[in-house]
Amino acid sequence: MTTKVSACWQKNPALAWREIDEVTVIISPTDSVMHELNDTGSFLWKNIDGRRSAAELAELLAESYEVAPEIALIDTQALLEEMSSRKLVMPVPATGGELR
Amino acid sequence: MNAPDANSGGGRQQPFELSIGCVPMRLQIADERLYSAVSARYGAFTGTAGQPIPIALNSFSAVGSHRPEFAYEFEGALLRTGSNETRFDGVRNEYALDSLLRVLLSWKLASREGFLLHAATVIRAGMAYVFAGRSGAGKSTVASLSPPGSVLTDEISLLRRGNGVWRAHGTPFWGEFRAAGSNTSAPVRGIFRLVQSAENRVAPLRPVELLRALLPNVLFFSAEPEANRRLLEILGRAAEEISGGELSFRRDRTFWEALPK
Repeated sequence: MTTKVSACWQKNPALAWREIDEVTVIISPTDSVMHELNDTGSFLWKNIDGRRSAAELAELLAESYEVAPEIALIDTQALLEEMSSRKLVMPVPATGGELR
Repeated sequence: MNAPDANSGGGRQQPFELSIGCVPMRLQIADERLYSAVSARYGAFTGTAGQPIPIALNSFSAVGSHRPEFAYEFEGALLRTGSNETRFDGVRNEYALDSLLRVLLSWKLASREGFLLHAATVIRAGMAYVFAGRSGAGKSTVASLSPPGSVLTDEISLLRRGNGVWRAHGTPFWGEFRAAGSNTSAPVRGIFRLVQSAENRVAPLRPVELLRALLPNVLFFSAEPEANRRLLEILGRAAEEISGGELSFRRDRTFWEALPK
């Protein structure tokens, strides 16, 4: 699945999460699966708020980690797709039913 | 106090008060045989301190109109609990009752900074050593290699935080449905993940590693997100505040030599 870079992302509201030892631990209560996010994944997770797009998240990543914007965007999209495949995040449906 | 109570329509109700992990409960039981079984099984946990949670057992009264905060079904027995009432319906024997009590406790502890864990707990020098692991990991072995009277449970441990201190409490939940345990508690010295081995050794666990060890062994039965957030907060705090280790151990008493004093 490829989602437009302008699409906003939100956390799956069914999940529980907590940061510990600089690792974000996420549990999915419905299937009792535990997920862990590394440093970059945790950074994105903290900033996924239902209002930011992949492009905006990549900007934050580029600033904080001092990486080139194009590299940050590639990394951000890859991480979002990975988290999406694990049902941790989802694109926010645009009004009208289509993804922005 | 456990004495006969008013008839609520299905037979003579008898209250049975018990407290597990400082969570007081009062069962209202009409079935004589079940009352006897409960008295025998939870005899060491009778009495309450504080306002008990009233539990209507196989009540003939109508279910209240309030939607329960939490409900759980186990082999035809149904638990419903909310702010106004807690009911166990369809309970045919002590095994079903025991299961519903564990489920109810797991739910109530989540709002009392506590949790139930598949673990054996042994008291040594006034401190509780908690040995976590699934079936076959060695919980019963560790318990059987410990002095009589020092084992709080060989199957399901109850940990609670109070005044900044984590304590392990005795539970009546033992392997093979044995009636045992004592209603005491002790400060937790550490939580140890069990690994059977040819040598005794303790490898420290970082908080995230301890949390990883705890999660598959925690008893929790709600899929509701907010309840799971509360639980994860409690477990994360436990993992940060309690020292954790992986105990590789031989099946003899020498494993105690590897544990911290």
